[in-house]
Amino acid sequence: MTAFGPATAALVVVGAIAATALWRALGVFLARRLDPQGAVFRWFSFASFAVLAGLLSRLLILPTGDLASVGLEVRLGAALIGVAAFYLSRRNLLVGVASGTISFALAAGALG
Amino acid sequence: MKPVDFPGGLKAGMRAAVGLPTVVLLGSLTGYGALAHDTGFGGGLAVLSTILIWGLPGQIVMAEMYAAGADVLAIAIAVGMANMRFFPMAVSLMPTLGGGGLATRFAQAQLMSATSWAYVMRSSAPETPQARLGYHTGFTCVCVTVAAIATLIGYLGAAGLPKPLAMALLFINACFLLLLLLDTRGRGAAVAVITGVAAGIPINMYFPDTGLIITGLIGGTAGFLADGTRRQEEP
Repeated sequence: MTAFGPATAALVVVGAIAATALWRALGVFLARRLDPQGAVFRWFSFASFAVLAGLLSRLLILPTGDLASVGLEVRLGAALIGVAAFYLSRRNLLVGVASGTISFALAAGALG
Repeated sequence: MKPVDFPGGLKAGMRAAVGLPTVVLLGSLTGYGALAHDTGFGGGLAVLSTILIWGLPGQIVMAEMYAAGADVLAIAIAVGMANMRFFPMAVSLMPTLGGGGLATRFAQAQLMSATSWAYVMRSSAPETPQARLGYHTGFTCVCVTVAAIATLIGYLGAAGLPKPLAMALLFINACFLLLLLLDTRGRGAAVAVITGVAAGIPINMYFPDTGLIITGLIGGTAGFLADGTRRQEEP
């Protein structure tokens, strides 16, 4: 445990920046050795899609902090409304995101 | 007509960013700015963390763990785990961008986000390496600028932000990612996404730290296998 204070906050941010930059730099180094047409490269693009999909299930179904205080049914319901609006608007991302988020805000406000 | 050179790609990338990505960033980073304020960061640090961490899930983990009084090293490890996705994303993005210099590569990897990656992977993005480099540069520079401003707005306005709205701002990101992934084309990518979402739930439950990378291994392999069979069918 560490005492709160400006110096610690700065250290926390620097540590978080370094921890993230490390992965980006490792990716750059590995990419230099890869053939863009090759199997390894193709596997990594599919793995990236899967990681983002995993991140999505984490954000929607297993969130941390404030979002976790809103019920699962609100999060999933708002997401479904967003998806429905997306397809009803012929795949308009703005309509989908706005519908999902506004539904979420209304439900969180009404229930919270 | 798709742009074929760097300046053309740069303009196309900036145009693509001004629109929905800007709206989403304004919303979600305002939410982050408010969170950073409430968890006790200074305004400068909040903006700096947006520009240089540049991955919202990791930033939220950082703010929440700091508020909970966690140790500096523990926070760095947790943020590193949350942002591990940048490793496979950089590997798959870099070979498609022009400009072979190492400094250029590091700059592009640092600017990359889930949104920029997904936009460059869309079929509407430019195809030549130089135009793709311009596109990613233009797209990400607009995004980082908007995000930095939004963080500051959220930080300064935190006190006046009603709780349901603050939470909805953090929800925008999940909703945007969901729709971007639904918009994915190609059998391999679709299989990877569906497997990732489905496998991601139990895996993240049992392995909260390394869950994302395990999900990537499983979903990536499933997508690769699905794509491989398709390629053999097409001569």
